[in-house]
Amino acid sequence: MNINGIQIDNTFAEAFDMRATRVLITALNLKWAYHAAKAMTGFATSVIGCGVEAGIERELSADETPDGRPGLAILMFAMGSKVLMQQLEMRIGQCVLTCPTAAAFAGITSDEPINLGKNLRYFGDGFQTSKLIAGKRYWRIPVMDGEFLCEETTGMVRAIGGGNFLILATSQANALQSAEIAIAAMKKLPNVIMPFPGGVVRSGSKVGSKYPTMFASTNDAFCPTLKGLVQTELCDDIESVMEIVIDGLSFDDIAKAMKVGVEAICALSEKSGVKRISAGNYGGKLGPHHFKLHDIMK
Amino acid sequence: MTALTFTLKTALNFKLNCARLTPNNLAGLSLTQIKNLSLLNSKNSAKVADFFDVSGNNAEHIIFKNSNTQLNYLGHKMLHGQITIEGDCGDFLGANMHGGNIICHGNVNDRVGDQMRRGLILINGDAGDYCGSRMIAGTIGAYGKVGKYAGFGMKRGTILLTQIPTLHATIQDCGVHTLPFLALLLSAFKPFLTKFNVITTNRVRRYAGDLASNGNGEILVILP
Repeated sequence: MNINGIQIDNTFAEAFDMRATRVLITALNLKWAYHAAKAMTGFATSVIGCGVEAGIERELSADETPDGRPGLAILMFAMGSKVLMQQLEMRIGQCVLTCPTAAAFAGITSDEPINLGKNLRYFGDGFQTSKLIAGKRYWRIPVMDGEFLCEETTGMVRAIGGGNFLILATSQANALQSAEIAIAAMKKLPNVIMPFPGGVVRSGSKVGSKYPTMFASTNDAFCPTLKGLVQTELCDDIESVMEIVIDGLSFDDIAKAMKVGVEAICALSEKSGVKRISAGNYGGKLGPHHFKLHDIMK
Repeated sequence: MTALTFTLKTALNFKLNCARLTPNNLAGLSLTQIKNLSLLNSKNSAKVADFFDVSGNNAEHIIFKNSNTQLNYLGHKMLHGQITIEGDCGDFLGANMHGGNIICHGNVNDRVGDQMRRGLILINGDAGDYCGSRMIAGTIGAYGKVGKYAGFGMKRGTILLTQIPTLHATIQDCGVHTLPFLALLLSAFKPFLTKFNVITTNRVRRYAGDLASNGNGEILVILP
């Protein structure tokens, strides 16, 4: 398959089952909502080392939030429910409870509620109060700037993590510029996040390593400086590869995000310096969800 | 389905205990059964039909029409649903309430929400003495004036007012604050079409109490 002179490899991205939740962060203004949200989603690029993958899904206007203040929707993904619950409570406690004027609310409903403010309330040292409003319980915790308002629980849902595509370009600058354009288009979509810095990852990994203690290591087949040393996937004119990883609430959400991202790059044509679009997989043996590039781009 | 409506037939010169007329007590009963229900659950007690014209079939929403201050214990031990009072009512409105919503468009006598544990009582008019007395939790809103000893013995819960009442010694002034949760609370009031819908501020003077109980209750007075 070739779109505007850019080759789309006949391969697939391999993704995994995850558990996810959405939290709404509001504050006095968007600036302080961003402070809280960025802290909460910081160091959350990969479950390999961070426990969760998290990102800002979108901005919320004042009429979209429970308390009528501007805010942000955050999506958080983990490999299991236990770690998701632990990380959520820790991040709300350290990053939102501490942030001036910020409040936290459930952003998704499900049959599996997980704690949001349920345990954080004890920070109130007995002065915390709860309000049951329209069937939902909220905790009001006295803090030095007034009150921290936090819904008791949010929902946990089944989700998918690890959708991806690779941008193979003639230079690092070309690869990154195209990736940025793809990210800008993908960020307009609901239900997905691209958890790596700026939405882009340059250190794609393969399973295993020559070192016994490492269970993942650099994806040498896509490292341009190793051409000639390893069984490379790159041709001579490719000097840089960037990857965009996508976590989403459903298969269709991720597939749509991949399509929108690849389309945005292909719209630039081969003049952008992008030669190929590929995807990362582990031979189809590890992840149950396969995003076939040719099917997605039909 | 239409709301189950109790229209008081004549003005009363005595107090009438209406504790049995709640959504949880009347669920599943036919109109005939409701009309024949004894108000005090005793053999010689007066029947509902002796005092009220009854119509409608949705016990989850009960409306009292032509009501006055002789009707006591409306919403007593209510668990769910809604009671709308299109007039005044007597003492102990929503006493021991465990859930649901009570909306009173008139004035209310003493001891609104006495020992209420959960739920919402909104009063468009005035409330008498001991509003929210011995309250365990829940929310009471009174738009008009409130009598003496508001929040007497309250443990938790919120009493939302628009005027500062005469408060007793164990209710403590905590100062003026902007409380974000009020936006949620006032927004939840909107469907009930009360005078609270005109309030657009989260700025309140907060009183905590009753310190003679455990002091986790609060009286919030909306500031203009």
